[in-house]
Amino acid sequence: MNREPAILTEGLTKHYGEVEALVDLDLEVRRGEVFGFLGPNGAGKTTMIRSILDLIHPTSGKAIILGLHSHDDAVEIRNHVGYLPSDLSMYPNLTGRDMITYFANLRGGVDLAHVDELAERLQADLGKKVGDLSSGNRQKVGLILAFMSRPQLIIMDEPSTGLDPLVQREFQAMMREVGAEGRTVFLSSHTLSEVQRVADRVGIIRNGHLVDVETVGDLRSKSIRTVELTFDTPVEASVFEAVPGVRDVVVADHHATMSFDGKMDTLLRVATDRHTLVDVNTQEADLEEIFLEYYREEARS
Amino acid sequence: MLANVFAKAVRDRTVSTLIGAMSLGLMLWFGLAVYRDIDISFYQHLPEAVLELMGVPSEGGVGGLAFGAMYDFMGAFVLAGLAIAMGASAVAGEEQEGTFALLLGNPVSRRGVVSSKSLSMVALIGLGSVVLWAWGSLTPGWLGIDVSGLHLEAMILALFLNALVYGTLALAIGSWTGNRGAASGTAIALMVIGYLAASLFPLIEGLERVGQIFPWHYYSSSRPVINGLDGGHIAVLATLCVVFVALAFVGVARRDLKDKSLGTNLFDRLRANPRTRKVMDRIAGSARVSRISVKTTSEFQGLLVITSGIMFYMGLMMGPLYSFVPADIVDFFADFPDVLIAMIGGADMATATGFLQAELFAITGPVAVIVLTVAMGARALAGEEERHTMGLLLANPVSRATVIREKALAMVAYAFVFGVVTFAGTAAGVLLAGIDVTVGGVAATSALLSLFGLVFGGVALVVGAATGRSRLALGVSAAVAVVSYFVWSFFPLAETFAPWAVVSPFELFLGSDPLANGMPWGDAAILLAIFLALVAVSIPLFERRDLRG
Repeated sequence: MNREPAILTEGLTKHYGEVEALVDLDLEVRRGEVFGFLGPNGAGKTTMIRSILDLIHPTSGKAIILGLHSHDDAVEIRNHVGYLPSDLSMYPNLTGRDMITYFANLRGGVDLAHVDELAERLQADLGKKVGDLSSGNRQKVGLILAFMSRPQLIIMDEPSTGLDPLVQREFQAMMREVGAEGRTVFLSSHTLSEVQRVADRVGIIRNGHLVDVETVGDLRSKSIRTVELTFDTPVEASVFEAVPGVRDVVVADHHATMSFDGKMDTLLRVATDRHTLVDVNTQEADLEEIFLEYYREEARS
Repeated sequence: MLANVFAKAVRDRTVSTLIGAMSLGLMLWFGLAVYRDIDISFYQHLPEAVLELMGVPSEGGVGGLAFGAMYDFMGAFVLAGLAIAMGASAVAGEEQEGTFALLLGNPVSRRGVVSSKSLSMVALIGLGSVVLWAWGSLTPGWLGIDVSGLHLEAMILALFLNALVYGTLALAIGSWTGNRGAASGTAIALMVIGYLAASLFPLIEGLERVGQIFPWHYYSSSRPVINGLDGGHIAVLATLCVVFVALAFVGVARRDLKDKSLGTNLFDRLRANPRTRKVMDRIAGSARVSRISVKTTSEFQGLLVITSGIMFYMGLMMGPLYSFVPADIVDFFADFPDVLIAMIGGADMATATGFLQAELFAITGPVAVIVLTVAMGARALAGEEERHTMGLLLANPVSRATVIREKALAMVAYAFVFGVVTFAGTAAGVLLAGIDVTVGGVAATSALLSLFGLVFGGVALVVGAATGRSRLALGVSAAVAVVSYFVWSFFPLAETFAPWAVVSPFELFLGSDPLANGMPWGDAAILLAIFLALVAVSIPLFERRDLRG
C-alpha cells in the first residue's frame, strides 16, 4: 500500500438545494493516526463521511482516500476501508453471523478467526437475529463488520451509541491497536471526552465548516472549564472578573460559577486571598462552550 | 374509551375500508349489468355444490344472482378480511411494532386501548357496510333491474356481524398471545374452513348438521337476501362478537407484554438446537448469504411459492375443467358482450386454447408474475435504501452496477422458476384431461409469461434506481401494467386505436396466440431486449444519484 494520506479532501462541498451541508472542507488525515471528527448534531459529519465513501456526490471539491479518487476508484477504495454508519441498520432477519458471512463473502479474504476474536472482545452474540438485538448489541455486530477485514482505514460514524462503559473501553483499546499497527481510524463523534480518550488529533466541524484541527493536547490546554467555588461568606462577582481567562461569572450568595480557561493557580490565589474557600468543583465544558470559545477567538483575530 | 386511540385507528384504516367497499359496489354494478344481458339459465345447470360454494341462490333472478355472488360471497370475505386485519393489529400488531409499550407510557389502561380499538373496528366495518348498502340500493335502479322481494338490509346486517365475528376473534387471539400472525392466521383459517364446511356438509347425507358448529353457518345458511333475517342466527353471531371482545379484555390485562420482536419460526428453533444446527445453518444461513443475488432470492421465497403455487394449481385445474364444461357453453360465451371478450384478449372460449388463455394466461398469469417481479424490482435498490442497509452494503468492494446486476439476476432466476412451475402445472392439467392443447404451446406461453413479467420488474427497478422510493416504483409499475392491459384489450374495439395495441407488452406476450401457434421467437427476443435495456438504463440512473438514508 502506498503512503499517501489516509484521507485528503480539497474544497469538499455539498449543497442540498439551498442548504450548505458541507462548505469548502480541506482536511488531511495521516496514516497511523486515530483522528477524531467532532461536531454537534447536524454539523455535517455524516455528510462528509458519505461524500468520501461515494454514497453521495460532492457538489464540488474532491476527496482522495489512501491515494485513490473517492468516486473514480470507489470500489478499489472499499477493499481497504471498513465502515460503520450512524444509526446502524442491518437485515433484521439475519443473525449476526449471517451478516458477517454475507459481507465476508462480498469482501473476500476475511480471517474468520479474527472475527471470533473480535466477537469475544466485544462480547457480541452472533447467534441471534439482528432484529432481536438491543441497539448496543447490534452496534457490536456493526463494529465487527468494520474491523474484521483489518482494513487500512476504518471510518466510524458515532460508533459508541448504546455501548456500555466496559465495552467502550475495549473498543477504545481496539482503535488504539489499529493506530499502533500503522492503520488509520477516522472517528466521528459529538462527545469531546470520547474523542479525547483515543484520538491523536481532532478536527472540529460546525455548520458545515471545518473550524480547526488540533492535537488533543492542544485542545485540552485550550479547553475551558466550568468552575464552581463555594465560600463561607457571600462574595462579589467583580473579584473574579478581573482574573484573566474568567468569563460569565454568576454569583449567588456563597457560590460563584464561571467559565475559565486560564491558569488555575491564579484563580485559586484570588479566591483564597480575601475569603475562606469551602469547596471547589470543576467540570469539563461541553462542546458548545468550546465552539463558542473558537468563535470568540475568530472574532478577536 | 380513548378518543385519540379510536380516532387514530379509524383514520389508519378508513381508506382501505372505503377501497374495499367501493370495489365491491363496482363489482355489483358490473355483475348486474352482465347478468342482465345474458341468459342466466346457464347457472341452473350447474351442480348444487358449485352454486352453494359460489353463494348463488337458485332463486331471486338477476338481482339475487348478482347480490349472491358479489355481496353475499365476495363481500363477506372482503369485509371479514378487513376486520381480521384490524383485529390482529389492534393489540398484537402494536406489540410487535414496539408501539404498544409506547402507548401505555401514557396514562391509558390496556382495557381502554382494547375497547377503543374494538369500537373503531365496529365503526369501520359499519362504514363499509353503509357503502355497500348505498351501492346495493342505487345500482339496480340505474340499470332498471327489479329487485323487489330481495332483502338488502337483512343481508348487509348479516355481512356486518359476520365480519365482526372474525375481527373480534383475531382481536381476542392477539390479546392473549401478542402474536399477529397467529391471530390473523387462526381467524382466516376458521373463516375459510367454516365457509367450506357450512357450504358442503349440508349436501352430504348423514352429515348435514356438522356445518352448524361453524360460525359461517349462522351467516349464510338462512340466505338473508332471499329470506330476510333469521333472528336466532343473528343472535348467535352477535353473541360470538361479545364473547370474543370479552375474552380480549381478559387476555390483554393478565399477560406480560412482549417486546418488539421478529418472532421465532421453525427454522430458528432448529438452528438453535445443537443437533440440527449444522444442517440448518447450511440451509438457512451461510448458503443464503453467499452473494447478493442469492441473498436477494432468499428474501422473496414466500412470494415465489405463493404466486407460482397459484399458477400451478390453476394450471392443473384448467385442463380438466375445460373437459367438464357443457357443450352449450359455446352459446353461453357467444352471448358475452364484446367488452367482456376483449378483457381476455379476444380469446375464443369455445376452443381449448382460447379457454386456457382466458382463464389462466390473460389475467391470472400476468397478475401473478407482475406481483412477483415488481415486488422484487421495487425493493431491489429502493428497499435497501429505505431500510438504510445500502450504505453498509456499498461499504464492501462492490460497485453500484454490480449490485444492480446481482439483483436483476435474482429476478431472472425467480421468473424462470415461476415459468417452469406454471408450465409443469398447466402441462400436467392439459395432459390429464387430454384436451386439444400442445405441450409446446404451453411451454412457449409459460416462457413468454416469465419474460413478460421481467419487463415490469425492469420498470420497477428503473424507477427504484432513479428515485430510491419503493412505493413510487410499485405505483408506477402497476400503472404501466394497467395501461398496457387496457391498450391491448380495449383499443382493438375501436378502429382508430386498434393499431396502437401493438405497443403493449401484452401484445408481445399473447398477440401471436402462442398456445396455438408455438413460440414467437421474435416477440420473445423483444421482451428480453426490453428487460435488458431497462436494467442497463437503471445503472447510470443509480450511479449518478445521492443515496438516501
